[in-house]
Amino acid sequence: MTSPGRAFPWIAVLLASAFLLNHARPAKNNGPYDFQQIRRIPVSADGRVKPLDTVARNSLMIISGRQTFRLNGLRQPAIRWLADTIARPEQSRGYDVFRIDHPDVLALMGLTHADGKRFSFDTIMTHQNTISKQAQQAMQITGKKRNPFQKHLLKLYRHLILFSRLSQLDTPYTVPPVDGRESWEPMSKIMHAVHQSDSNMPASAAYITSIMSAYNQNDPQRFNRIASQYHHYLKSLMPRDVRKTGYEIFFNDFEPFYLATVLYVIAFVLACMSFLLRCLSRPVWPESLGKAAVWLLILTFVVHTFGLGSRIYLQGRPPVTNLYSSAVFIGWGCVLLALFLERLFRLGLGSITAAVIGFVTLIIAHNLGGDGDTMEMMQAVLDSNFWLSTHVIAVTVGYSATFLAGFLAILFILLGVFTPVLKPELFKSLGKMVYGVVCFAMLLSFVGTVLGGIWADQSWGRFWGWDPKENGAVLIVLMNALILHARWGGMIRERGMMVLAIAGNIITSWSWFGTNMLGVGLHSYGFMDSAIFWMFAFVCSQLLLMGLGMLPTKMWRSFSKPEAQQPTQPTPSV
Amino acid sequence: MNPNVKKTFQPLASLQLTVVLFAMAMFLIFAGTLAQVHQGIWTVMRLYFRSFVVWIDLQLFVPINIAEIPGRFPFPGGFVIGTLMMINLIAAHSMRFKLTSKRAGILILHMGIVLLLVGELITAVFAQEGNMTIDEGSYANYTEDIRQAELAVIDASSPDYDQVVVIPESILVDYGDPIRDSRLPFDVTVIEWMPNSRLFGPMGAPPGLKPRATAGTGKGVVAQRIARATGVDGQNVDAPSAYIKLSHEGQSLGTWLVSLYLDDAQRVTVGGKSYKLSLRFKRDYKPYTMHLIDFRHDKFVGTQKPRNFSSLIRLVDPVNREDRQVLIYMNNPLRYGGETFYQSAFKEGDTGTILQVVRNPGWLLPYISCTLVSVGMLLHFGLNLTKFVRKVGL
Repeated sequence: MTSPGRAFPWIAVLLASAFLLNHARPAKNNGPYDFQQIRRIPVSADGRVKPLDTVARNSLMIISGRQTFRLNGLRQPAIRWLADTIARPEQSRGYDVFRIDHPDVLALMGLTHADGKRFSFDTIMTHQNTISKQAQQAMQITGKKRNPFQKHLLKLYRHLILFSRLSQLDTPYTVPPVDGRESWEPMSKIMHAVHQSDSNMPASAAYITSIMSAYNQNDPQRFNRIASQYHHYLKSLMPRDVRKTGYEIFFNDFEPFYLATVLYVIAFVLACMSFLLRCLSRPVWPESLGKAAVWLLILTFVVHTFGLGSRIYLQGRPPVTNLYSSAVFIGWGCVLLALFLERLFRLGLGSITAAVIGFVTLIIAHNLGGDGDTMEMMQAVLDSNFWLSTHVIAVTVGYSATFLAGFLAILFILLGVFTPVLKPELFKSLGKMVYGVVCFAMLLSFVGTVLGGIWADQSWGRFWGWDPKENGAVLIVLMNALILHARWGGMIRERGMMVLAIAGNIITSWSWFGTNMLGVGLHSYGFMDSAIFWMFAFVCSQLLLMGLGMLPTKMWRSFSKPEAQQPTQPTPSV
Repeated sequence: MNPNVKKTFQPLASLQLTVVLFAMAMFLIFAGTLAQVHQGIWTVMRLYFRSFVVWIDLQLFVPINIAEIPGRFPFPGGFVIGTLMMINLIAAHSMRFKLTSKRAGILILHMGIVLLLVGELITAVFAQEGNMTIDEGSYANYTEDIRQAELAVIDASSPDYDQVVVIPESILVDYGDPIRDSRLPFDVTVIEWMPNSRLFGPMGAPPGLKPRATAGTGKGVVAQRIARATGVDGQNVDAPSAYIKLSHEGQSLGTWLVSLYLDDAQRVTVGGKSYKLSLRFKRDYKPYTMHLIDFRHDKFVGTQKPRNFSSLIRLVDPVNREDRQVLIYMNNPLRYGGETFYQSAFKEGDTGTILQVVRNPGWLLPYISCTLVSVGMLLHFGLNLTKFVRKVGL
């Protein structure tokens, strides 16, 4: 092997590590105000103590669809927007941050998409009467029956209210349970009490007021000094919360899932190149490229795991609590399994699969996380307990494995139909891979489903309730069992198993998303509208692939050429 | 085994049958999930999963706003598919029975599956569920079945006890003829039975509906029949109402409106004696009482999201000489006297608790079966995997 080839995996990993370390550095501060100081102030929102930075990011995400905003052409962090909203509201009201998508909602205000996507509070409030009148009417209609215009209008209405509540310090709860007070309280309530009865202002509230007034009066020195004092004050009184919010700031800045998404793409390119060169029988590069891909994937997997672990630490909950986290976790499980397969078979296909599924699931997660804090608190009934945690983890890994089998099957069919590379060795290896993964999927999905039943028995006395989500889980178990029994009974061989494994994709997506779309059941924690379209598109694509897989083998490029050696079973029955 | 017997049972033991049954079970479950959009969970369970034949509407598979599709087709219900699975499994094992270490895993896991199916059958046939509602500072000694109503006629003339006669929903639904019984002080004729209903005052009634009752507290009230509750949400419960005619020795006592919404019992006077009349959820009286000392409903700070519910209960059972305090909260039920009490819901304004009371003689089976199946699968797949890994080398 030539030396550049040998060194390549090392170079790839080094570059990737440099990229990661660069992101792990604390964010730099532009301008005289030390926003770092107020970013880490702990506050309470949605039942969880978190840094002000998270509130700023989530609120701006809700209102604007982004975690940053543009001011005079420059990109500014969310905390700047929140600071202005609280202490310089007259300025913040002029920022174009309210995203409006529906043309009819824009038309209410005499605007069109030509005027932009995002508008300022002041612009919108010149039409205050029209909007509140329309919103009142839309509220008469109950949730599901509202048309898209009404939904978008009410969304805007809620965003306006959120903005007002933020600017009045009504939310988040900023006054901590220190100096003799029992629970978090909103600043607005404290101020009201102070005005009403001359009662003393708690020290923490006084700090916050001073920070705000320094910012309002454009006094960066006082702002930085008091913010730093407040930090030390809280550190001595509630060290655990301060430590945790500090960690969350790091988590927010590091953006492990974003970094992992980027690295998965690079690993995918490397793995594909390696596979291609291997098929062309080039001697040197495939191995080092393949190695680089695997090493990079392992590094990325560590970052992915770090993100997952951080969420568990911050939330104090098992890894899967909502659809967002289920996507992150399914991706994690798939990558782990695919890397294991790569270790066993060393064909490069495990790497390609790991990279693609890692990337796609993180993108799905990103799109599911749009509406606020992804670390929301759970309903009491979903509160953590042993059975629930194990159930969720097992079932989600079961989903992962079923998807993995389906993805490998897609590779099998695409490679077989469109390329000549599905030679007997690869044909058989992929067959074994999918078989093994289906076995694993059945074990995990069965155990996971039954653990869910045990949890249900513990929680509300019904082992099995035929709830849509439970039914979805048992469908996956049955699908895997069907594939295995059909294979054992000789009803299908490799190709038939591949086609059924892709059907497994449809069932899994139904169980993951489809059952939530029905909007019934204790498990309907994530009802979605627009996802229905994507779900439908996904099912169609899978049906198409199944159709491809059922084409007669003489139409497959891998089998059609006379010089290509036929697999031991040249025409596998379906 | 006798070769002739073997020949007869061959198809029953075949893997082809297994695969077909799996596919049919999947279809049934899929249809039964879609059906929950339109029908309540208990109806779906009865029609699809705990039945021999189910008629499936074609409309289920196409949203009604895309196309209207009439027609339906029969499909084997849960009992049939489950039984066939069981026969298939037992036949397969008795035909191919071999106790080798290679097949031990499969044997164990399939034993677990049999137990799981048996457990679900026992649940289907024997399990009972009810709700126990207790106000803070008060007590209860009965559970209510929120899926069935009964018409109760109560003779409260004795200071020591009430004499209660109930007419179950199954009789009320089947109306037309007068209901006569020597234990009833009057004859009851159901004029209209509404499985789920809404009540209006005389002013608020929808056009075309007029009050029909001529006696009792329901005189000015209008009842309207509405669609039955759908889904599995515990909040959606059918609230039946009925118009009934009462008569005594051929003499009419007027038309009465009875409804789950009319909380206070109405008074009917016959021959100088007064009886209480009320339509209520079916009650099941217990030999013990549950006193609610305190109900707590904690929320996450600054939100309406519930964090925890708990009920501090004093359990008094004179028969078994029990008198003790228990705390029932989420994921922490009380198991007592073959029944399990779960924190299920609460009364508006946190003034009382609602416990779910379940009696299921098969509750332990899933635990055993889960263990067996998991152990079996781990054994079987684990053996194969280690063999494979050893061959490939890791």
